[in-house]
Amino acid sequence: MKILGIIGTNSENSPTRLLMQFIKKQYDEKAEIELVEIKDVPMFNESKDLSDKEPFISIRKKIEAADGIIIGTSEHNRSIPSSLNSFLEWSSFSVHPFDGKPVMLVGTSITRQGSASAQLHLRQILDAPGVNAIVLPGNEFLLGDAKHAFDNDGNIEAQRTVDFLGTCFNNFLRFVKVADVLQTPDEVRFEPGDYKVTTKGHNGELPMVVSFSEDRIEDIEIDTTGETQGIADTVFERIPQAIIAGQTLNIDAVSGASVTSNGVVDGVAQAVKLAGVDPNILKKRPKPSADTVTTPLEYKTDVVVVGGGGAGLTAAVNVLQAGKQVMVVEKFPAVGGNTIRTGGPMNAADPKWQNTFAALPGEKETLEEILNMDEAEIDAEYLADFQELKKQIKAYIDSDGKYLFDSALWHRIQTYLGGKRTDLKGNEIHGQYDLVKVLTDHALESVKWLESIGVEFDPDEVSMPVGAKWRRGHKPLKNQGYAYISALQDFVNQNGGKILTDTPVKHILFENNKVTGIVGLNADNRKVIIHAKAVILASGGFGANTKMVQKYNTYWSKVDDNLATSNSPAITGDGIRLGQSVGADLVGMGFTQMMPVSDPETGELFTGLQVPPANFVMVNQQGKRFVDEYESRDVLTQAAIDNGSLFYLIADDEIKKTAYNTTQESIDEQVKAGTLYRADTLADLAKQLDIKPAVFEETIAKYNSYVDAGKDAEFGKEVFDLKVQKAPFYATPRKPAMHHTMGGLKIDTKTHVLDTDGVIIENLYAAGEVAGGIHAGNRLGGNSLSDIFTYGRIAGKTAVKETCEK
Amino acid sequence: MKLIGIVGTNADKSTNRTLLQYMQEHFADQAKIEICEVKDIPVFNKPSERVAPEQIRQLTDKITAADGVIISTPEYDHTIPAPLSNLLEWLAYTTQPLQNKPVMITGASYGVLGTSRAQTHLRQILNAPELKALVLPGKEYLLGHSLQAFNDKNVLVDTDKAQELDEYFANFVDFINKVKG
Repeated sequence: MKILGIIGTNSENSPTRLLMQFIKKQYDEKAEIELVEIKDVPMFNESKDLSDKEPFISIRKKIEAADGIIIGTSEHNRSIPSSLNSFLEWSSFSVHPFDGKPVMLVGTSITRQGSASAQLHLRQILDAPGVNAIVLPGNEFLLGDAKHAFDNDGNIEAQRTVDFLGTCFNNFLRFVKVADVLQTPDEVRFEPGDYKVTTKGHNGELPMVVSFSEDRIEDIEIDTTGETQGIADTVFERIPQAIIAGQTLNIDAVSGASVTSNGVVDGVAQAVKLAGVDPNILKKRPKPSADTVTTPLEYKTDVVVVGGGGAGLTAAVNVLQAGKQVMVVEKFPAVGGNTIRTGGPMNAADPKWQNTFAALPGEKETLEEILNMDEAEIDAEYLADFQELKKQIKAYIDSDGKYLFDSALWHRIQTYLGGKRTDLKGNEIHGQYDLVKVLTDHALESVKWLESIGVEFDPDEVSMPVGAKWRRGHKPLKNQGYAYISALQDFVNQNGGKILTDTPVKHILFENNKVTGIVGLNADNRKVIIHAKAVILASGGFGANTKMVQKYNTYWSKVDDNLATSNSPAITGDGIRLGQSVGADLVGMGFTQMMPVSDPETGELFTGLQVPPANFVMVNQQGKRFVDEYESRDVLTQAAIDNGSLFYLIADDEIKKTAYNTTQESIDEQVKAGTLYRADTLADLAKQLDIKPAVFEETIAKYNSYVDAGKDAEFGKEVFDLKVQKAPFYATPRKPAMHHTMGGLKIDTKTHVLDTDGVIIENLYAAGEVAGGIHAGNRLGGNSLSDIFTYGRIAGKTAVKETCEK
Repeated sequence: MKLIGIVGTNADKSTNRTLLQYMQEHFADQAKIEICEVKDIPVFNKPSERVAPEQIRQLTDKITAADGVIISTPEYDHTIPAPLSNLLEWLAYTTQPLQNKPVMITGASYGVLGTSRAQTHLRQILNAPELKALVLPGKEYLLGHSLQAFNDKNVLVDTDKAQELDEYFANFVDFINKVKG
């Protein structure tokens, strides 16, 4: 435990100093005790704020770092010394280091009084709202006649006094722990969004919009139209800048404009309140230091990449490979984005390799379906490819191929057919042909390129990720998604690239209709300005931004406020907003992909019992089945949404054995934690789920009869495995979670970002989930990785070629 | 009658200074009030030599020559400002001019309470044996919302508060006369 002792007098020969030194010596083993002097702190003057100057600033930091404070006071004229008074005034003016700190008082006097009156004053002072310390009650340690209390070694002579001091000190150490509990966490959590408030201008109220992310005030926009120009312009610029830089409402007014200055602060305070946070917490924060407000960090480089996931790092490596400089700006403390969360397999048709694997039952039938498809259903731009594919398939079937078939064309047509959807408004969407063509023609090249920078793929397994529809997944030999990120990150670091983490990008620099760099904010709230010849946006989609999903959604009948996500919490659509700020067009924003069988709380897949779909038995909160469990992800998701989102996967002891994600130990833990339900009878299980037992038993009886019949009269399920019959029975709560956002910035095949007139925005490029148009209404599993590595490479190369080699 | 008015703060702007300036003008026919500042007094550090610095000596002379002292104090953290306690420490430790000197306490604050807690502390401090001032008992003057109390010519526009101050000042003049006996 760290205890700070404050010697509350500036007098050279004070017994109070002796007392504090004795305490430090005596209780050295019980706590880490440090003493500080206040004698060099200047006299408090509210007209000349020296709170951010030495020596006060060092003491303030020590107070803030300490678990508890002991103040030793002398008594001057029935009160505390003015030097201590002055010190406490500094500690309650623009900074409040004592706020919520446990404090113990001790005191001496040369008279018999022993600082009794001074300590009473001191208690009242420490209670004042500006100081707001938590003072140990009772335990009054008063050392009277203090000139004669110490021996030559500085020890208190009277053993009874030492004993009592020991009792007080022990009580204080216990009190510190209690006070720790009292400390209300001042962690703020804003309800993200834009809040409209007003602020005072010269000509009346001005509208103001304050934007919050979960943990920050992100933006303050004041509409000054209708305001006369003048000093207020400075206010409307400088005050919001200071508030954002310091994330504080403890802001000095611009001199000569205190009313408008305070108006802005009050307006933001109002917005803070609307966002669910007590503005007083922000008012107590330290003022923004001069550094953070005035001196930005400035860099110059060839290409700056926004986002350190797979797409961004790939672009960066390509810039370095072309011999140019690159900086990657990542908002989170570590790179990796969503890529690091993936299982790893990326789709790329590699027939030579795939042909060495035997075909599986059912694959030929899938190919035959293509031959039987009505060509009228195929969009014109894909028709030639479709017909060519049919020839390939026919040749394969005619040759009675026993091997795994594939081709870039088959990948292309699957991507196209898999992405073709119609939204609630009747808008049809499918992947933009040229983008899909580039993706499927160059995916294999991306695999080879990844191998060249050190990613090892498993040659012995061709995998089919969930929702991929065909076996063409190249899977890293080890470490899943981390395999990509570690190889890319190492390359960037070893080849002179610079990665700035903890630096969200706030603006794109845009001059004369050209992008010239970015402005970010680092962990110290310091502005980071990067001037660059090109900017590549690779910041991912908006899966972790439910408000944004709700805003654009045209596909799902309802998007829950408490929608979970499988995404990294960093994925909040930042790049899309940045692109829009310089006029970028958006495409397909209403279409998002949800993972229907996710953990209701975390969005994760790997909790509960995850079994093959043939063994899925889904019941809603009324205990009834509601869908063909073998359906595609978006059908399952919509069915779940229509049934109140939350549903249960039912399993018996045999089905449990087919779960691929868990162990008995983990199952027992989850049952104990209440995140998985288990019972010896169906009726008991139903009771746990708050479902009528009779309804649930009937549902299961019907399902079992369909398994026997091999046919589901109700919902048309055709692929069955096991019945639900052997105790114990399980119910895994599930809920659709946001998985991928298909829409985004409109790009062309060279990754140029296009504006709403279809014109290239000069020097701006985008790759990965931030861009739209490829996966359209639904993305095939394993296609994201193909996308980010293929378009990431193109973005890096194109940016260098067009902006650095002119 | 000669009085010393002490502004209990070193702040550039203080309604306590304004209050004393108002009193200086408003009671000019009854007393000559000289306003003294605490802002340039050195920091008290209980030096082993009990020698008053120049500023303290000058102020001591003025207090000694005066019939009474008015102290107008703000309230910081439930008590008086450090610059005022600094002055009182010097006076107590060196020249002790407040011994048996009639003192009237006033206080102005922006908030509603009008320095009530600071004034209670100040009374206790002035009671200390080395100060031993004769503080006018039974009365107090708390001027809350002091920013709104004056007009731009420093006139106390709150008529109730102005009348209360008139009565209080009259009591103080009586008190001084009785002490002089």
